[in-house]
Amino acid sequence: MSRTIDRPALVVGFLLLAVAAIIAFDASRQTITSNYGVGPTAMPYVVCTGMVLLGLAHLFVAFRDGLPKPEAADGRALLWVGGGLVGLIACIALGGGFIVATAILFSCTARGFGRDALPTDIAIGLVLGTAIYLLFLKLLTLSLPTGPLEALLS
Amino acid sequence: MLTSFIKRGAVAAVALAGLTTAAFAQMELKIMAPAAPGGGWDGTARSMQQALTAAGIAKSVQVTNVTGAGGTIGLAQLIGAKGDGHQLMVNGFVMVGAILLNKSPVNLTQVTPIARLTAEALVIVVPTDSPVKNAKDLADRVKADPAKVTWAGGSAGGADHILAALFTEAAGGDAKKINYIPFSGGGEALAAMLGGRVTAGISGYGEFEGQIKAGKLRVIGVSASKRLANAPDAPTLKEGGVNVELLNWRSVVAPPGLSDAQKTELSGAVEKLVKSKEWIEILKARGWDDAYLGTAEFDAFLKTETVRVEKVMKDVGLVK
Amino acid sequence: METLLSLANGFSVALEPSKLLFCLIGVFLGTAVGVLPGIGPALTVALLLPVTFKLDPAGSLIMFAGIYYGGMYGGSTTAILLNAPGESASLATALEGSKMAKAGRGGPALATAAIGSFVAGLIATIGLAFLAPWLVELAVKFGPWDYFALMIVAFVTVSATFGDSPLRGLTSLFLGMTLGLVGIDKLTGQARLTFGVPELLNGVEVTTLAVGLFAVGEALYVASKRWREPEEIIPIKGSLWMNKQDWKRSWAPWLRGTAFGFPIGALPAGGAEVPTFLSYSTEKKLCKYPEEFGKGAIEGVAGPEAANNASAAGTLVPLLTLGLPTSATAAIMLAGFQQYGLNPGPLLFAEKPDLVWGLIASLFIANVMLVILNLPLIGLWVRLLAIPQPWLYAGILVFATMGTLAVNPSPVELGMLFGFGYLGYLMRRYDYPVAPMVVGLILGPMAEAQLRRALQISLGDPMILLENPISATLLGIAFIALVAPFVMSGLNKFKASDD
Repeated sequence: MSRTIDRPALVVGFLLLAVAAIIAFDASRQTITSNYGVGPTAMPYVVCTGMVLLGLAHLFVAFRDGLPKPEAADGRALLWVGGGLVGLIACIALGGGFIVATAILFSCTARGFGRDALPTDIAIGLVLGTAIYLLFLKLLTLSLPTGPLEALLS
Repeated sequence: MLTSFIKRGAVAAVALAGLTTAAFAQMELKIMAPAAPGGGWDGTARSMQQALTAAGIAKSVQVTNVTGAGGTIGLAQLIGAKGDGHQLMVNGFVMVGAILLNKSPVNLTQVTPIARLTAEALVIVVPTDSPVKNAKDLADRVKADPAKVTWAGGSAGGADHILAALFTEAAGGDAKKINYIPFSGGGEALAAMLGGRVTAGISGYGEFEGQIKAGKLRVIGVSASKRLANAPDAPTLKEGGVNVELLNWRSVVAPPGLSDAQKTELSGAVEKLVKSKEWIEILKARGWDDAYLGTAEFDAFLKTETVRVEKVMKDVGLVK
Repeated sequence: METLLSLANGFSVALEPSKLLFCLIGVFLGTAVGVLPGIGPALTVALLLPVTFKLDPAGSLIMFAGIYYGGMYGGSTTAILLNAPGESASLATALEGSKMAKAGRGGPALATAAIGSFVAGLIATIGLAFLAPWLVELAVKFGPWDYFALMIVAFVTVSATFGDSPLRGLTSLFLGMTLGLVGIDKLTGQARLTFGVPELLNGVEVTTLAVGLFAVGEALYVASKRWREPEEIIPIKGSLWMNKQDWKRSWAPWLRGTAFGFPIGALPAGGAEVPTFLSYSTEKKLCKYPEEFGKGAIEGVAGPEAANNASAAGTLVPLLTLGLPTSATAAIMLAGFQQYGLNPGPLLFAEKPDLVWGLIASLFIANVMLVILNLPLIGLWVRLLAIPQPWLYAGILVFATMGTLAVNPSPVELGMLFGFGYLGYLMRRYDYPVAPMVVGLILGPMAEAQLRRALQISLGDPMILLENPISATLLGIAFIALVAPFVMSGLNKFKASDD
């Protein structure tokens, strides 16, 4: 048996203890309780106790076998896909609208999965986004987030 | 996949065509429902959309949904749309309580009230085999020991909860001690009552109507000022000696900072709406009662209602 | 006998050619909208309700039945093909279904889901027609303490989704329960764990978590190891259709799923999730090939799908007999019925027998339509997986975010979707199961609310849980299920992994 400390398990253990602390802190600040039975803090304390036990168990495991060892990850692919999602959120938050957001997500994800044709994929994303936008608007009368492109369509 | 979507879309478009008949009016409105699609406020917004376009009052009406926090997120967004004379938002009694409960940084004094549209009276009921016969019985019990009277109703701080508190206070009981059990949706509350789990239940009259007519629930009182047209046998709470009145109303409001012309235009459109035969048909189909109040009356009503709700929520201990 | 006559009468209305066409359109629309993740059956019905306005009552009712069943089925299609459960009740389906789809068995998975839904729908609709008045008497007897005990049973059986480490499974479950605390406390209206962010007051949406953990998490995970071991998705391997073995392994789970789904669905606060979890863990226990679970066992699709659909029909029991809308979908259906002048409640069967039996007949027909429509479509659906991998995953992510964008496009909600996606990636990397987390989010708040209601009624006396026969029995079952096999094997495993 190896005597090295498994870092991921240690990190998870401390994170779980931190979550437990946050739950306990939040519960301790509750001012309004139920008149009868148990109040809104009972369940948080139950969950908190569970989290403490699980956190300690992780710390224990860290000095034993640790967590399963993952294979090396492809950071670039992750960055592209994650970047696409962040791009989508930023685009929506800044009022860029659904169609552009979809084009960003689509093309970045495709790039992350190894396609090397960003302009084509952006075009596909734009067409896909436009089609979905129109379907939602006309068929379901649900309006997806609008931006400059959507304004042109209506 | 896309082509199959479009094909299906075409089928639906044919079916929908009857709904979106072109109108000649020029007004382009946006109505925000500060809740998820499918809920009560959303239903009101979409019904308005339907009637406004079908009656030719507006050229186009777009419904948007802003979910969250009892509608207060939508409210904040409406306040942000300062000066936009083509934006409306549906809201109602529940929002008054939600603002207080959620400690919302925005409130209803910051918007431009346009009109009250509909209202529903609540009803207090007990199971038929309950020893509680009338409002006085219930009032006596609440006064004697509020803990032993369990109330079933909708969400905490909602209209049902407020009515339970008002009833307790009017009966001379301690509202701080009420044993109110919120259930998700009227269905669960009703089941708890039919199973005899709780003393009394509160909900909109419509929700209990079937059970009342079938003789499984007994009406203790309705919270309106006079008996309901569709339930002439059900006494009001006032008749039963408990001086409480409460309506669960829905209304429309507009962003702050509107010019007088903009206000008049919006009020006029809503006034035309409530008089249109399309709207009256929708009210009938959905079982909503017309409770139209014009801009000025609604403004005053909203102020008194806010004060009242605030007091009750403090009394009950929902807000400190 | 009277029931049969009334039912025959209902069929005579519902079987006219024009009505059949309405039904077909309804099933079509319902499936099309239902496949969108984040747009569950409730929203599907709400959005399509206006389409039925223009028809006569009988026509609109039958179209409505089609939309309802179509929407239910649509959710499982995305769960299987894209690993994006569009609603919480499709979660259990996604567990095995998506694994089957990746292994080229998407055809049989979709088929067993469709036929299982059909079988369950059929049996449950018969149950609705014949047992409703009797069943509902039983259903309203369920008090908060009984629901709490039922949740505990469901909690205990969740261990079926833990994979090989109870420690990591429990961690996932408790993370889900932590998320379940977020938002306004149902019983006091207090905000918990919201940190002053108003968007969090409504709590964490189950679909946001499920789509984030499942679809987004998996896309990130597959991308991260693309160079090392490129994932192979085989659209079709072997038969597109269910083979003899598949049938043999499916029929019993269909029936058991129905047996869980219908009665629990008929309970006013039973819901569709609990029976699907119970069905999943039962099938795992009873399966002759338990090692296939987690890798694509057909029983794990057949059972939960049947349970899901049977519970949908079960929901109609309190709705039609008492006028109790017990789910979001049922509440919208109630609004729908009112459009047609139907006022569900105890008097409905007596006052409007034509329409009620017409509706029940419509449900039968919609059920048949659904199978007729969807079985041929399976070939088309499965071919979706033949799309080149970059486009396939790009499409899945667009699809996965679309539901959130349509229903609640706030940056906070989208951020959560992405955050859960990244968490899902990390959990996959270190071999934490993701399903228990979603289960914790669903069951945690339900169990808490029911327990607190029970204690409020008993004025704080916990003995109420043991004094009532139903809750006492259920708690006994939970205790035995927990103590006998799980603790033993769990402890052994725990020791084995430590030593």
